[in-house]
Formats: sequence, structure tokens, C-alpha cells
Amino acid sequence: MRGLMTATAIVALLPAAALAQSVTIGITQNNVGVDSYQTTYEQAFMAYAEELDGVETVVLDAGGDVARQIGQIQDLIQQQVDAIIIWPTQGQAVVPAVRQAHMAGIPVVITNSQIAEEGFEFIASFSGPDNITQGQYSAEMMCEALDGEGQIVQISGQPGYTTAMERQSGFEERLAEACPGVEIMETQPGDWNRERAQRVMENFLTKYDQIDGVYSGDDNMGVGALNAAKAAGRAEGIAFIGATNFAVGYEAMERGEYWGSVYQSPVEDARNALDTALAVIRGEDVPFLNYFDTPKITQANMSEYTKPVF
Amino acid sequence: MATDIKTAADHGAQLKALLAQQGILIAFIVFTIGFAFSSDRFMSADNLMTVLRQAAIIGTIAVGVTVVVIGGNLDLSVGSLLSFATVLVVDLHDKIGPAPAMLVMFVATMGIGAITGFLVGYLRLNSLIVTLGMLSAIQGIVLIYTGGQNVDIREQDGTWFAVFGRGYVFGIATPIVIFLGLAILMEIVLRRTSYGRKVFAVGGNPTAAVFSGINRSRMVFTTYLISAFAVGCAAVIMGSRVMGSQNNVGQGYELLVLAGVILGGTSLLGGSGSVLKTVLGVLILAIIQNALILMGYPYYTQWLVTWVVIILAVWLDVASKRGRLFTTFN
Amino acid sequence: MQQLKQLVLTQPIWLFVIAITIFFSFGSPHFLDVQNFKNILVQTSTIGLIALGMTFVMINGNIDLSVGAVVALSASLAVGLQSEVGILPAVVVALAAGIGLGFVNGMIVWKTGVDAFIVTLGAMIGVRGLVFLYTQEQSFFATNFAYADFGMSAVGPLPTLAIIFLGFAALMHWILTSTIHGRNTYAVGGNREAAINAGIKVGPHMVVNFMIVGFFAALAGVTLSTQMGAATPNLGRDFELWTITAVVLGGTKLAGGSGSVIGTLGGVLAIGILRNGMNLMQVPAFYVLVILGVILIAVLFIDRQVGRKGAQELRT
Repeated sequence: MRGLMTATAIVALLPAAALAQSVTIGITQNNVGVDSYQTTYEQAFMAYAEELDGVETVVLDAGGDVARQIGQIQDLIQQQVDAIIIWPTQGQAVVPAVRQAHMAGIPVVITNSQIAEEGFEFIASFSGPDNITQGQYSAEMMCEALDGEGQIVQISGQPGYTTAMERQSGFEERLAEACPGVEIMETQPGDWNRERAQRVMENFLTKYDQIDGVYSGDDNMGVGALNAAKAAGRAEGIAFIGATNFAVGYEAMERGEYWGSVYQSPVEDARNALDTALAVIRGEDVPFLNYFDTPKITQANMSEYTKPVF
Repeated sequence: MATDIKTAADHGAQLKALLAQQGILIAFIVFTIGFAFSSDRFMSADNLMTVLRQAAIIGTIAVGVTVVVIGGNLDLSVGSLLSFATVLVVDLHDKIGPAPAMLVMFVATMGIGAITGFLVGYLRLNSLIVTLGMLSAIQGIVLIYTGGQNVDIREQDGTWFAVFGRGYVFGIATPIVIFLGLAILMEIVLRRTSYGRKVFAVGGNPTAAVFSGINRSRMVFTTYLISAFAVGCAAVIMGSRVMGSQNNVGQGYELLVLAGVILGGTSLLGGSGSVLKTVLGVLILAIIQNALILMGYPYYTQWLVTWVVIILAVWLDVASKRGRLFTTFN
Repeated sequence: MQQLKQLVLTQPIWLFVIAITIFFSFGSPHFLDVQNFKNILVQTSTIGLIALGMTFVMINGNIDLSVGAVVALSASLAVGLQSEVGILPAVVVALAAGIGLGFVNGMIVWKTGVDAFIVTLGAMIGVRGLVFLYTQEQSFFATNFAYADFGMSAVGPLPTLAIIFLGFAALMHWILTSTIHGRNTYAVGGNREAAINAGIKVGPHMVVNFMIVGFFAALAGVTLSTQMGAATPNLGRDFELWTITAVVLGGTKLAGGSGSVIGTLGGVLAIGILRNGMNLMQVPAFYVLVILGVILIAVLFIDRQVGRKGAQELRT
């Protein structure tokens, strides 16, 4: 036991000593370029690293491919960076690679989307939004928008992706509990893709004569659903609730077409991740779940928030 | 054959020939009727419009790819090219106005088509690999162009650009008009012009075509221009329909398009095929997808059905040309 | 000197591999590290294993586009079943599924006479459907860390997965160059009619090769899942495209009749080293896509020029 403690102490000392000169932080992201959120995150991350003195970064992107991400984690271990930040392509599949980094003495910070519980013991901290709470927020907004009564459809994110699953489960559980009068008729994946969400919504509109609300896993898909409803002339009677407020969602809210969403800033997400990683390297106390705040945004309170840049 | 008297055997042969030639049409009718009985919503005018409108983007691209395939080549770059064209036209819309944006987009898209056409046509490089390389390179170019950001059209309600994806012409949704219009135009070009005959000749027997004085390189080159033009048309529909674009909006389209072309009976060896049958092929795939979701099956069941349908359709086609169901070699 | 010339003419891709190795050793201080080469071998083993089987199918004049979906299916089976039946039986089922799907593909190609491109394009879509049907969109996690430890383990100086890959590469090289099956593989791809006339049972022969590629795709699924200790239904997307790219870079002709395992090995390493080197040099991901695309086309072009010259020189 003592041997183990000394070992960890030495491991903890090494990066701290290095901090005097400069630290190198590696990040492997999920899929930059697939949507603006991830792109803005990357830019904010690099800009923030630039601002800070003595912080070098190795910025990688897995292109959505789990296998490639594992390779990148191994490459980062190989380069002996001081900390690795991982935006998991998949919450479970990265666990062994995370464990490998842990065993190599490199602290890991998970960003944006949580990994599976089996991996918790190998990570220093999770930095990101609380997606289950976000799903709950959306359920509460839906309940309010419909006065507790109605039939809705759900357009979820990419199947198998943790953020998608957490938002969906948070939404479904909270809705059943707080709002038994609102029924989810059907759920189909929109894969975080606006055009696909538009197609899914078109099919819903032909299938169901009465739709009172649509919950989308993010605003990008939500605006796709709104497009479809407008084209069918049925947007008036439908409450659109989303998550991750996009500029297009914000503008649709301004026009009164979109009911509400969850405000989540990629800039804050990126800064939070880098700060967390630096704190871990310095050996400071970091909460294991280092959430940043993601409040509800609706037509009523939107003036308190600046329009998202993405 | 020389006599006018028709025997029962002739009728049998005629039926066989009809099956061979119009198998895809018959399959289309069978599917439509079958689904009509299985879901009462399927045959509603609204739903049929939705199916056609959703098929229009893939269908428009498939029209162009059919020409490439008849010419004896493949085009796997159309998915990335669709992303490129859509991103470009949407991004430029607010900057320089809809008409110049479309002009620039068509020029740039067909410029890339010309590069592919040059590599395959004039340098005679294998089309599968060239277009695979282009698939990757074009996706990279799109991302570099946008820096990975989504692009959007801000004034959605005020622009006439909306007509292409959301408008109607004589009561028919514009995407459908563009899709079917392009298909009919290309069918006429292929069947009724010397250009069309040359495309078939180059794809069917390149050596003979060259001996009869056809410039094979130039013909192959032009098929890629047509394919790129079709992608441009699809991008106009896509951009106008969504009023925005992600950088990977066309990802995976290349294989969906190819599935439609193959289902329509166009031979991958080149030299035979029909744009109108490609239309039916694309519609069958769209109908399968739509009907299975209406019937409440999970979305992935359509993939299983597509597997069976593609192989059965091409098998029947091949078998009728061969005159027997199975091959005879050991 | 003569031998070197011969190597350049027959295996131009290895020249390219050497060139980029030299380039990246100057480009990144971490590149020429023993550990880095182990990483490259492990990272390329997935596509590499599939490419071994694909080489046989493509020399036959066929192609298999369903390998990516088979990777996902076998990974899901291997991880999903092991909590119920144990690791080894689960892996056996996974490999059997790959061989079985290869058999189905092969039989359809043989009996119906439909082009392998179309048969396996259909299978690529359909097998992905099977994956989602079986997994119900869920990812599976190997509760036993022993499974993931296997993927990370090493025998002596070499990672286990690298040994598996190189071992099978040697085996397949031997089969292709020194057995009747290997000779028939070239004969059938070179001229099918002549092969039939020569009494080769072309149909069963092709089926065997489809089963071989099915086996390797399934094996790649298993080894990949040991690296992750998990399986996801979206695993293996685009793998078919990268595998074919690697095989073609290695000099195997799409028309069939020529190709080699050594060339394929070079093609696989070329892609692996490019990706790894560009990661280490921090080339932005967007540019990596463009560079890979351009290199693919350029190598195809150079290969043909060299091949032409080689054919002329060999004639004189």
C-alpha cells in the first residue's frame, strides 16, 4: 500500500516539476467539423491555450471513429504528454485505452460526453455539461409549453452516443414523472443531422394527424423538424423544444417559432476542460464531475443570453 | 421470328422478354400495391409526395451517376461533392445573392467533376480508386473552406431561392420537378442523340468505339461533367430545403445512389442501362424505407429488406439475359 | 542492384513506405521510437487482417464491400455473448459468423452470376441491419478486463496483435505463392474461362476465398474489440474503402489476376504510417483528408507509369 502511494506521489510530482517550464496537454476530439459546436469548441480550446503561458497542446480529432481515437490516445501516451483530454467517440469503447493512459501515469480528463462507469476509476475528472439534467430541463419546458397535456414525438441524436442516450433518458424519465399527461408517440434518430431530422419529421407528420410537441436532441435537428412542419403548414400548433442552443435555434425563438432550448456554450465547455486538466496537473483538488452551467433558454428569458456564435 | 403467326411458345417468350425488360417496373408496381394494403397512410397523396420529395435528392444524383456507369466507370465522389456544392451555394447565398451563388457553385462543382473526368478519362486511371481518393480530398476541402462551421441562410422567408426545395410548380413540389425533369432530359439525350449513342458505345466496347472514331477520353470526361452537374442540381434542392448545411451532409450518399442505379438494372460493366429505370430503382428504395417506418418497424429493418431486394432484382435481370436461373460452371 | 531494381519495379509501394518513414523521422522526434512502431503495427493490424483476405478475393477478380459490417457483427457477437457463454466460445461464434456470411456471399456470386460488387454492396447494407437487430443499437462492454488486456498484451518485444497480424500475413503469403489454392487464385482471376477449361472448380474456389475474407473481417472485429474491450454497432464504417485502398496501393489489380501479400502489407503500412506521422506532426485533420486522397490518386498514377516502364524493361 505504501509502495503504491509513493508511486502515485512520484507520478504526481513529475508533471508538477515540469510545470515550471511548460506543460503539454493532448486532446483527442470526437468529430470536428461534423457540427459547429465541435468546431467552435476546438477553436476556443486552441485560442485559450494560446492565451495561457506555458501551455503546449497537441490537438487531434478522431473523425468519429472509435478505432482511430484509441490509436490517437496511444500516440499521445507515446509522446508522454502531461495530461490527456478525451472527447469520447463512444463512452464504453475508450475505457481500455483510458486505463492504458492511467497505467502509464498520465492523468485523463473526459470532456463533454461521459465515459462508461467502468472507466471512472481511471480518470481524474469529467468536465462538461450534465446531459441528464439537460434532458430533464427539456422535459420540464415541454410540460410547461403543453400545459401538461398532449402527444409528442422525439428526434434523438446518434444512436449509441452517450450524449444522445443521456438526454433521451433524462427527458423520458422526467417527463413520465412530472408530466404523465404528455405521451411520447414515437422516437427516431436524427443523427445530429438537420436534413435527416427534417426527413424524420416529414414522416412523423404523415403518420400522425395530431402532434403537439417535438423534442430534439439538439437545436440543429430541432430546426430541421421546424422546417418540415412549416412546409406542411402545421408549425403553428407544435411546441419545439431542443437542446444545445444553436444560432439558428436562437433566431427561430426570436421569430416565435421555437419554444425553448438549453443554453450550452462550447467556449465554456472548452475552457472548462483545459482548466480542469491544468488543475489536475498542478495536483489541485478537482471535483470528479466538473459540470459547467447549462441553463434553460426560452422565448421569455432569451434576452439574457447572447446569440450563440455557431 | 420470320412468320406472323404467333404460337403459345411465342407468347411465353414474349412474357419472358417483358419480364426481362420491365422487371424493375413490375417490381415497383408490386411493392406499391403491397405496401398500399399494409398501411392505410401509405397511399395518401401527402405521403406519396413526401416519398417523392425525399427521393428527389438521391434520385437527381443517381441520374448523373447512371450516365457515368453506362460509360463504363464508377463515381464514388458524389457524396462529398454534394457536401461541397451544398455548403458552397448556402454559404454564398447571403454573401453575393442567390443567382451568383448558384452560378459559382455550378462552375466550381463542375470544375471538380472535370478534374475527376480528366483523371479517369484522359489519364485512364481506375475510376473506383480515383473517385475514392476524390471522396476523401473533397470532404477535406469542404472542411477547410468552412473551417468546420455549419453554414446557414439567414433570411429564409424572403429569398426566391426557397422555391427549389420548398416551392411548387403547377402543384407539384419543385424537387420532384427537377428530379424527373432531369431524368427525362437525360433519357432523351441518351436515346435520341449521337452523344448518347457514343456513351453507350464507349461503355459497351471501348476498343470498338475507338475504332469507329469515337474520342473515348473525351466521352468519359463529359460523363463526369454530367454527374457533377446533377450533383449541383441536387445541392440546390438540398440547400433550399434545409436553408443551411453541415459539412458532411452528403456523407454515405455515394452508396445509396449506387444502390438505386444498380437496382434500376444498369450494368456496372458499362454499355447498358436506363435513366428512367434508375428513377424506379431509387423510388423502390425510398418506398421501402417510408413504408417500413409507417408500419412501425425500426429504421434498420429497411437495410435487411434492401439487401434482399437488390440481390433478387439484379439476379432476375442477369438470369433473364442468361436464359436460366443459375450459372452452370463449377 | 539488380535485385533492388526488381523490388522497385514489382513493389513500388515499399519504396514509398521507406520514403515516408525517412520523411517523418525528420518531421517528428517521436516517430523513430520503438514504441511508436509497435503502435503503428497494432493500429494497422485491423485493416491489415481484412486486407489479407481482400487480396485473395481481389486477385480472384471479385471484391467484398461487406467487410466493415462483418467487423461490427463479429465484434458485437464476441463481446455480447461472452458474459453468457465465456470468452472463447463467443469468439468462435463471432469467427463462424464471418465465415458463414462469406459463404453466403460466395454462393450468391457463384450461383446467381451477379457481380461481386453488387452482391457485397447489398450485404454491406444488410449485415449492418443484422448488427442493429442483434445489438438493438446498444454498445456492449466486456466486463472481464482480461479480454481488453489481451488486446494490450505483448509476447516478448512485440504486441500480441502485431504478432497475429504478421503471422497470418506470412501464412497467407505462403498459401498464395506455394500452394495449389494460391496458383488457382491467380488463374481464376487472370482468365476465368481458361481456368474452367483447365478443370479448376472455379465456383467452390471463389466461395472458399469469400470465406477467407469473411474469416479475416471477423478476426479483425475480434482483435479490434479486444483493443476497446467493447463493441459498438457503428464499428467498421468505411473500413471496406480503406481496405480496398490499401490492397490497391499494394499493387493488386481490380481486374484480378495479379497482386501479392507483400504488396498489400506495404499498402497497409503506407496508410498506417501516413496517419500516424501526420498525427505526430499535428497536421490538422481537415488537411489529412486532402493529403490522403491526393496521395492515393498520385500513387495510382505513379504505379501505372512505373508498371509500364517495368513491363517494357522486362521485355527487353
